[in-house]
Amino acid sequence: MLHLVSANASYEDSIALTDITLHIPVGQKLALIGRSGAGKSTLLKLLYDQRPTDIALVPQDYGLVTSLSLFHNVYMGQLGRHPLWYNLLNLIKPLKKPVGEVQSILSVVQLSDKLFEPIGQLSGGQQQRAAIARAIMQNGDILFADEPVSSLDEQQSNLVMKVLCQRFETLVLAMHDIDLALKYCDRIVGLDNGRITIDEPTGSLVRKDLLDIYGE
Amino acid sequence: MYAKTCLIFTVNKLTVSKGLRFRRSPRWKVSWLFVFVALACLPFADLSISTYDPWAELGRLFGGLLQPSLVAIEKPFEALLQTLAFAILGVSSGSLIGFGLAQLFHLRLVRIVCASVRAIHELFWALIFLQIFGLHPLTGLLALGLPYAATFAKVYAEILEEGDRRAYDTIRQSAGPTSAFFYARLPDLWQHFVTYTGYRLECGLRSSAVLGFVGLPTLGYYLSTAFLEGAYAEVWALLILFYLVIASLRYWLRPKLLPLYILIAPFIIANDSEISVDNISRFFTQDIVPLPLRNSEGLSGLWQWFTELFLTEALPGIINTLLLTQIALVLTGLIALIWFPLISRLFFERFGRLLGHLFLVIMRSTPEYILAFILLTLWGPSMLPAVIALALHNGAIIAHLMGRYSNTLSLRVDATAGMNRYAYEVVPRIYNQFLAFLFYRWEIIQRETAILGILGITTLGFYIDSAIQDIRLDRAMVLIAITAALNVCIDSLSHYIRSKLRLSIGSQQISAESRR
Amino acid sequence: MTTLLRRLGISLLISLSLISVSTSVFSAPKTLVFSAIPDQNQSQLVQRFGKVADYLTKTLGVPVKYVPVNSYAAAITAFRNNQVQLAWFGGLSGVRARLLVPDSEAIAQGFEDTQFETYFIAHHSTGLKPSDNFPESIAGKSFTFGSKGSTSGRLMPEFYIREHLGKAPDEAFNLVGFSGNHSRTIALVQSGAYQVGATNYKVWEKELAAGKIDTDKVSVIWKTPTYPDYQWTVRGDVDSVWGDGFKARIKQALLDMKDPALLDAFPRSAFVSASNDDYQPILDTAKEIGLID
Repeated sequence: MLHLVSANASYEDSIALTDITLHIPVGQKLALIGRSGAGKSTLLKLLYDQRPTDIALVPQDYGLVTSLSLFHNVYMGQLGRHPLWYNLLNLIKPLKKPVGEVQSILSVVQLSDKLFEPIGQLSGGQQQRAAIARAIMQNGDILFADEPVSSLDEQQSNLVMKVLCQRFETLVLAMHDIDLALKYCDRIVGLDNGRITIDEPTGSLVRKDLLDIYGE
Repeated sequence: MYAKTCLIFTVNKLTVSKGLRFRRSPRWKVSWLFVFVALACLPFADLSISTYDPWAELGRLFGGLLQPSLVAIEKPFEALLQTLAFAILGVSSGSLIGFGLAQLFHLRLVRIVCASVRAIHELFWALIFLQIFGLHPLTGLLALGLPYAATFAKVYAEILEEGDRRAYDTIRQSAGPTSAFFYARLPDLWQHFVTYTGYRLECGLRSSAVLGFVGLPTLGYYLSTAFLEGAYAEVWALLILFYLVIASLRYWLRPKLLPLYILIAPFIIANDSEISVDNISRFFTQDIVPLPLRNSEGLSGLWQWFTELFLTEALPGIINTLLLTQIALVLTGLIALIWFPLISRLFFERFGRLLGHLFLVIMRSTPEYILAFILLTLWGPSMLPAVIALALHNGAIIAHLMGRYSNTLSLRVDATAGMNRYAYEVVPRIYNQFLAFLFYRWEIIQRETAILGILGITTLGFYIDSAIQDIRLDRAMVLIAITAALNVCIDSLSHYIRSKLRLSIGSQQISAESRR
Repeated sequence: MTTLLRRLGISLLISLSLISVSTSVFSAPKTLVFSAIPDQNQSQLVQRFGKVADYLTKTLGVPVKYVPVNSYAAAITAFRNNQVQLAWFGGLSGVRARLLVPDSEAIAQGFEDTQFETYFIAHHSTGLKPSDNFPESIAGKSFTFGSKGSTSGRLMPEFYIREHLGKAPDEAFNLVGFSGNHSRTIALVQSGAYQVGATNYKVWEKELAAGKIDTDKVSVIWKTPTYPDYQWTVRGDVDSVWGDGFKARIKQALLDMKDPALLDAFPRSAFVSASNDDYQPILDTAKEIGLID
């Protein structure tokens, strides 16, 4: 479904990715692991550009609008599916139907009590879950997420990973938490210095080996 | 960039139920409050359109655009040089004095004096100094330098305050405050000072040109004359000349060349009029002394004189000034919100943005006076041309600042496009900055109503101009003082609202540009 | 960076001192300066009045220079501040100037100024027709004066408006404006921006002759009774600067000005003798309607 063959990428004069070949079939849950600067975000971007229209995205900086409420930020996942007048009306006065839909998604990520709180007043972990809620609101089959649980505690991380696996058919997650990657994903791609150095099904990998090379 | 806007991070003590009720933000409420105030002002403002045959005149106006000509203007390039020379000397002396005052800005007295000096429009300073020094170059120099010094003092002081003091505090004891200042503070802040001062020089050019409207030998002199005579070919030639100067600013206005310009400028503005001590003392001891005191009618006479002046001129002037300001302010905001996408890379490709830039440059470089003049011909005399002229000019300035600010935003790659992007992604992110810019300009818009008063719109500026034309300087001074007081009020109200809403502009560079 | 700052400071200081030095150096030979109120078309003013300056220089034997000003008040102030010693004023501005400069004197007026008139003009859409009586139906229309300090464009029309309508202009009209000068008044009424206006009859006739007026759109509806208007006023202290009898020589030079090319600048057919007393009616009128305290 997503394919890269011998792809390269570079920023100005530094090379970010070298000779990447990757095929991701439908239904796969893939984790990209590697130290900071290994090229995870760049690879994610490269893959995303293949099919930008039907991928739900959780960027590393969440991409939230801090002055709008949590409700509106989550609703943004559906902007494309409603006429403009509806969106504008909903901006000024939240409408019943979208409020209900957003509320049900927020209850899944345990944020339903913050519905109309401005995003700027939420903590880092709450903002991260808001970004995930927005991705869920998009109601797609594929999710790309860059460090989706980096600001969450262990209990919440597990909750979010579980939700993501349920809601999306295909997952591509850049992660540095190797335990979570092993627990929820079925394929691990390891990056080091812009190259793929490992690409195996989860079952065949040992935690300690990965930690040595890719641990933070 | 958006991380900056979430500086407002209060401890979250809100209960569960609170988060579940949709509450509109205070900024939203304040915005609507201003809209309602402006709507409430509408019935009291005369916004009628009363022309019958504007087309012949307008035809000639735009016919002039097709064949701009400098032939009938006696010394266009001389006027241009005068404009440049006054601007360069006025702004640089203002900046030097302002720099000194900024060091004393913690003193209440200095702040009050600066605020009152700033509150009086350059045109009124020029009218006052014309009485004292006549056509001597000092008139123009002071009319520009004084209000600019006061503004520089304020902004420089803000830059100093926002800067990092740690290095300075570390070495101050051993090095002494002056050396410590030059070593530990100035180097960090220098760029901010230079950026702001350079920006003000552009404003100074506009101001210098506008001073011609009251008789200084700058571009405005010929512009207003050409306008009054309907010599539109000359009007356009002068305007185009002016746009070219503004647009080419960055090519010839180099910090290294500035000392040279400053040395040449005095020879350009010098003329053979003299300063007479008698005139100066007469101004202070007779001209501005209220008539009843000159005629020794005592305090009761003075009170009667003042009440009469207040009720027949000041009060209607204040009312019209406020009506015009509030309506123009809201319209300015609306125009800025509509126009800023023109230069934003979030909405337009390179070519579209280029056209947008061109449009905004023309709108913001055209003095309000000219816009109002054109609209006055089109719609006849009412407050309408004034409102529209102020809103177009100021709206273009804020649109430019917002557009540039929006270019620093990075949206996530899957953000929507078009109106959805505008309403959900962009406007909410820049609304803070937008309100801050708008509130900064509030007081400026009010000050600018003065210029339109000279065109005949009955703001306070109209009555001040009338008093000057009648050579009743005592009345003019009272009216100018009232105008200044009104301006200080608006300035502090704006300051109060900005601090209540925690509106700040963020990066120093952009903030510098919005404060004129 | 600090050197730049220092260099800026030094050059600024030098230049400020240069202003005072250069201005005093330039003023070494004593020049008689004259000006004129900007009542009409201002283009080529320096050229037009430059010829008058040349004539006066030749006749008086001292350097004479013309400086342009762009408002009535600026002309008065320059005269008062002794930056101008001789001025071509209107009736009202002359009265004001002479009140402010005690020994100053009206010495000559245009032949036409002994019997000056103001024309009330109206846009065709008002349906107003020319008449010998004051057109009282102008009440409630929009009205424009010329400059705020003009005699023919402000003082006299306001006087007759008050006399016939019994009200101040702001109350008598729907809207009152000040166009700035007489040419502009004509243009604004012609465009319909204002329905009615008051203008100087000399300017009207000059522009009519020049083909700038479309009489289908704007026409004269009433002419005021005559009054004294423009005059040359000179400061009282000129004799002490340029020698005894200098004032009389200026007056003679003006009365002797016969060249139509020179007289065209004003525009007048000739200059005749005048005195301060000739303008008493103007002073009285100005006091009556509150333009002079």
